[in-house]
Amino acid sequence: MSGIHLFVPMLHVRDAVGEHTRALHDLLVADGVECRIYTETPDPDTVDETRPYLDYEKDAVPGDVLVYQMATRSGMAGWLADRPEPVVVNYHSITPPEYFAPWNNWIARHQVGATQELRRLAPTAVLGIGVSEFDARELRDGGCAEVVVIPVANVRVPPVEPDAAAVAARRGSQEDGPRWLSVGRLAPNKAHQDTIAALFVARATTSPGARLTIVGSPSEPTYARALQRYAAELGIAGAVEFVSRISDAELAARYVTADVLVMLSEHEGFGVPLVEAMSYGLPVVAYAAGAVPEVVGDAGVVLEAKGPRRVADEVGALLADPERRQALVTAGRARPAALGLDRAGSDLVTALQGVADRASAASADPVPGAPVRPGAPLSH
Amino acid sequence: MTAERNDAPERRDSEEGGGPAASPADPRAALPADERGLLEAFDRLRPQGTVGWNFDDAVRRLAEPAEAPGRPAGWSGLPADLWERGRSTKASERVLGDVVKIVAQDLSEYTDRAVEEERQLSADAVAELRQTVLDALRFLAARVERLESSVDPLGMQAGELVLPTFDGSAWVDAAAGWTAARADLPSLMGELGDHALLSALAGGGALVEGVDPRGTVVWAADAAFEVGSGRIDIAFAEVVDHLRSLPDASRGCVVLVGCIDRGDLARKVDLVDEARRVVAPGGTLVLLVTDQAAWDASLDPVVRDLLPGRPLHPETWQAVLAHRGVAGPRWLRPPSGSVHAVVAEVGR
Repeated sequence: MSGIHLFVPMLHVRDAVGEHTRALHDLLVADGVECRIYTETPDPDTVDETRPYLDYEKDAVPGDVLVYQMATRSGMAGWLADRPEPVVVNYHSITPPEYFAPWNNWIARHQVGATQELRRLAPTAVLGIGVSEFDARELRDGGCAEVVVIPVANVRVPPVEPDAAAVAARRGSQEDGPRWLSVGRLAPNKAHQDTIAALFVARATTSPGARLTIVGSPSEPTYARALQRYAAELGIAGAVEFVSRISDAELAARYVTADVLVMLSEHEGFGVPLVEAMSYGLPVVAYAAGAVPEVVGDAGVVLEAKGPRRVADEVGALLADPERRQALVTAGRARPAALGLDRAGSDLVTALQGVADRASAASADPVPGAPVRPGAPLSH
Repeated sequence: MTAERNDAPERRDSEEGGGPAASPADPRAALPADERGLLEAFDRLRPQGTVGWNFDDAVRRLAEPAEAPGRPAGWSGLPADLWERGRSTKASERVLGDVVKIVAQDLSEYTDRAVEEERQLSADAVAELRQTVLDALRFLAARVERLESSVDPLGMQAGELVLPTFDGSAWVDAAAGWTAARADLPSLMGELGDHALLSALAGGGALVEGVDPRGTVVWAADAAFEVGSGRIDIAFAEVVDHLRSLPDASRGCVVLVGCIDRGDLARKVDLVDEARRVVAPGGTLVLLVTDQAAWDASLDPVVRDLLPGRPLHPETWQAVLAHRGVAGPRWLRPPSGSVHAVVAEVGR
């Protein structure tokens, strides 16, 4: 039986691409589709859910569709480009290498390789799926002829129930002053240092009790250490809390007990924390980078510049204006539906089924000597 | 809701001493100097260019996986007792002689064996060799770390320790006189101390630049003074780094406080060398030095023991300055308080 199979370099839990892949797998299986996840490198946490990608060579069935979750460099990309099956690139944005260069040159070179792989694979893909219009542009620039935008499938609408004990503990604490929250991996493109600098200014000027919680795994340890050192050098180490590896319910507790989400990331292919925050009624102050403006829309404060004083002023002004804050909260709660997140999973399945139907038709009635893979984009 | 407001910066950059101009493409270019300084303080924490970064980068290059799959070649790796097998007593000789020799010998034997067995070296076998070199580098890095930790076993930064608050109030009346000789040039105060002394220096008429690596101190000074007024400018930087960025003979007077008390002798000498370089002929170099007894008495014993340095006696400073080519430094006892002045006029 032919199927729609997912390929991802590594399948991580609590990772945007990993969770998206797992959610898509579950949706396809629930829809009666044969679906397996293949990886290049096994992750001990998910090794039971995956197979080595080279094993697909003996699993292949005519009519299969291969979906590549692309965000980084992998030997899979070149291998997929040479496969006869139709390949769909589900693109999650490649972080530009220059962000990593001063911190981890190996990752920077890795990202350079990923952009080269995109240019090789995208022209051969029968369909490109960007999780945002921003990503869709990169796919088109990479040479993908047919591109659609379907958001990520792993944002839960309605959101996860917050952990009640964690909520009670945070609300019962004696902390005085507004709670800023920032959610995102500790990676250089996330620019958490700008949030720390803005907090420093806020504390030194209008909001001495302001505190910041940064939730994110240290994906680049040297950068993570530098963030902690920076907070210490500014004398605000006690006001900046770094949290990682928490459950969805604990993260939800952070959202509902914070006063504002501050996200000054400089490269976002989508920005899941933005919609999570808005779902929980947390107002957003974000920098207009990548997909952020299209994801936030009018439901948050999107800054064209992010000097520390400017950010501190914007956060202070927002928190001092309950009417404006409430308007943003109301708009934010409606934002996930406006983005189509509630139907993203089914849209994705429908799009992939369409490709699979064409592949099945082609494999059932092959032109002698022609490859199974369609030679032209779907739109033709 | 897109916030398109284009507020004029609340504080203007001064034209002089406002730090290096940012390039037009730099999004920070539109920021006031104090905000730029705040963000640049983080840039200094980037590892690129450091020995550690270069090492890590080399290791990662070696660790990059081979392109083609192949069979493992059965390399057993480096001997666990590699270091113990080194015979030399000097660390550098042991690393460069014995250890590298053993690594080279083992690799050579392995290659010979592979050839003898007519085994074609697969990509994985090459990866094994790479892994071996990687192990060697890791091993060497561990040694270097041990050597470094013997220099600073706790890895503590001076900034983590609570130090006495500098009180230069005794020298407020004298300060304007220090800048008078070369009032045509800006002066510099390395670490800000209290604001009274900085104000007094500015009273001499020249622009005074205050430099401090502590964010909170810089911010407080920024708020206290009308930055950009042409009288006082504040820079957020390590004093010695800031001095290095200045041209020769570009300051009429340099006053060093605080930073001159801390750190080991090498750092202290580095500071005065840089300060001496930037003071113009006819200008003045002033070291405000905390009295040793007062310093010791004011410190928690733990901090006193752990600090990498303590203030030098004013007579010692006179000797150091003379050794570094500064003629006739004078020791001025404080009219009150516990801060001595060592004042030197830089020859024309």
